[in-house]
Amino acid sequence: MQLRRVVITGLGAITPLGNDVATLISGIESGKSAVEHIPEWENYIGMRCTVAAPAHIENEKLIPRQNRRSMGRLSIFAVQAAEQAIKDAGIKSGSLTGGKLGCVMGSTMGSAESIAEAFEIMGTGKDLSKLSATKFFQCVSHTAAMNVAQYLGITGYVLATSAACASALQAIGTGFDLIRLGKQDIMLCGGAEGLHPTVVGSFDVLYATSSNYNKEPKKTPRPFDSKRDGLVCGEGSGVLVLEDYEMARNRGAKIYAEIIGYNSCGNGSHVSESNHEAIVFCIQEALKSAGITFKDIDYINAHATATIQGDKEEANAIRHIFGDSVPVSSLKGYIGHTLGASGAIELIASLIMMQKGKIYPTLNLEDPDKECSGIQHVMKPVNKKINILLKNCFAFGGINAVLICKSTRP
Amino acid sequence: MTEQDAIRMTNEVFIDSFEIPKDKLAPQANIFNDLGLDSLDIVDLVVALQKKFGIMIRSDERVRNIRTLGDIYQFILVIKKELEK
Repeated sequence: MQLRRVVITGLGAITPLGNDVATLISGIESGKSAVEHIPEWENYIGMRCTVAAPAHIENEKLIPRQNRRSMGRLSIFAVQAAEQAIKDAGIKSGSLTGGKLGCVMGSTMGSAESIAEAFEIMGTGKDLSKLSATKFFQCVSHTAAMNVAQYLGITGYVLATSAACASALQAIGTGFDLIRLGKQDIMLCGGAEGLHPTVVGSFDVLYATSSNYNKEPKKTPRPFDSKRDGLVCGEGSGVLVLEDYEMARNRGAKIYAEIIGYNSCGNGSHVSESNHEAIVFCIQEALKSAGITFKDIDYINAHATATIQGDKEEANAIRHIFGDSVPVSSLKGYIGHTLGASGAIELIASLIMMQKGKIYPTLNLEDPDKECSGIQHVMKPVNKKINILLKNCFAFGGINAVLICKSTRP
Repeated sequence: MTEQDAIRMTNEVFIDSFEIPKDKLAPQANIFNDLGLDSLDIVDLVVALQKKFGIMIRSDERVRNIRTLGDIYQFILVIKKELEK
C-alpha cells in the first residue's frame, strides 16, 4: 500500500506571549519572557514555585454560549487556536462536515480549573445538586478534542491523546498516520493546557518546578543552564492543519512543511525519570521512519524544560546521536512549559524558523551545564537554512515522542 | 416574596446564566423556542434557580411542565408559598 504524503497547511496558537502565531514569534524574536510572579500562589501552603507563564483569554464571548458552556479554560484556548489554523489553511466550512476531516487534540487532563471547581461541589457531605450539567464536559480528558469538533462541526475522526507533555506531539503524529493511511484527508491536530495551581502543585511536590527565581521570574526556566532549577508551567494551545499533499497541492494551499517521520515510545523504566536510552531509541526510530539519517537534520527543537534530570538525559541522547553537529534550542524560557500544548506550540514556532531560515536561541541559557555539554547549543539567533527539523517531546509516565518535518521549498 | 421579586430574580438568572438579552424576557416567552434553552440548560436552570431562591426543586416533577418564563415565575411563587406553610 502506497502511503500518502502529509503536509502542514495551517497554524493557530494561543500562547503566553500572545494570542496568535505572529505575536508569539515577535515575542520570541525580541527575546521576551512571558514568565511572571503569581502572588496568589503564596497562599498555597507548601507551594515552592510561584512563577508561571499565563496566557490571557480574549474574546471568548464570540464563541456562542451553547458551545462555550462545555468549555473550560483549555478548550477555549483550543477552539480559538483551531479557528485560526482553519482560517490560515483556507479550509472551507463545507469540508469540515464531510467525514474526511477529523481532529486529534491532546491535553494532560481535562480543564484543571473545572475539575477543582467540580470537586469543591462533589465532596462527601456536600450538595451534588449544585453541580452544573456542563461541568462534566469541561473535566473529561477529551474536552479539547470534543469541543473543537463540536464547535467546528467536524464529523470525521475525533480523538484525544493524553500523554502529559507529549500529548500534542502524539496528536500530530496520530493525525499524520491517519492521513498517510488514507483514513482521513485533513486533520486538525494539537494540544491545549490550562494553568492552575493544582497542576503546578503536582510538579512542585516532585521538586520538578523552579523555585529559586520567584522574585526574578524572567530568569527562569533556564533550559540546559548550569543554574537551572526546574520547569515553569505555562498554558495555551497550538493547532496545526495536516493535509494530504495531493489535495493541498491541487487546491493551491500554502504549505509550511511536510511531515516525514514520527515515533512515540515508552521508556519502560520509570514514571518520572526520563532516560537517554529510550530517547535515543525514539529519535532513531523517527529518523528511520523518515528514511533519513542524523546527518540530514538541520535543527533540533528540544523538549528541555529546565529540570535537572530531564535536560541532562535529553542532551545526553542528542549528543549520542548527533554530537555537536546540529543546532539545538528550547523555547521554554520564553513561554514556560505549556505541557499538553507544548509539542504543537513549539512545532509551530519551529516551522516559522524553517520558513525564515532563522534559529531562535534558548532564552536564559547563559552557562551550559557540563552535564548538558557536547551538543550545539543555540545561545544567540542563528541564520541557517533549515531543510529538515526534528521536534522532541517527553512526558511523565515515561512517554517519548519525536516528529520530523521537511521543507517543501526548493 | 412578591411577584415582582420572583420576576426580577428569575430574569437575573436568565441574564447571568444564559446570557439572554433583557428585552427578550417576556412572561409568554417559551424557554425552548424563544429563549433557546436545551436539555442541558434545563439542568443548569434548576441549579441556578435553587441557588438564587434557596429552594430544592431538582426532584420536583412540576419542573417538567415548565414551558414559558411566566410558568417559572408562578412556579417560584408556589414553591415559596409552600415553604412558608
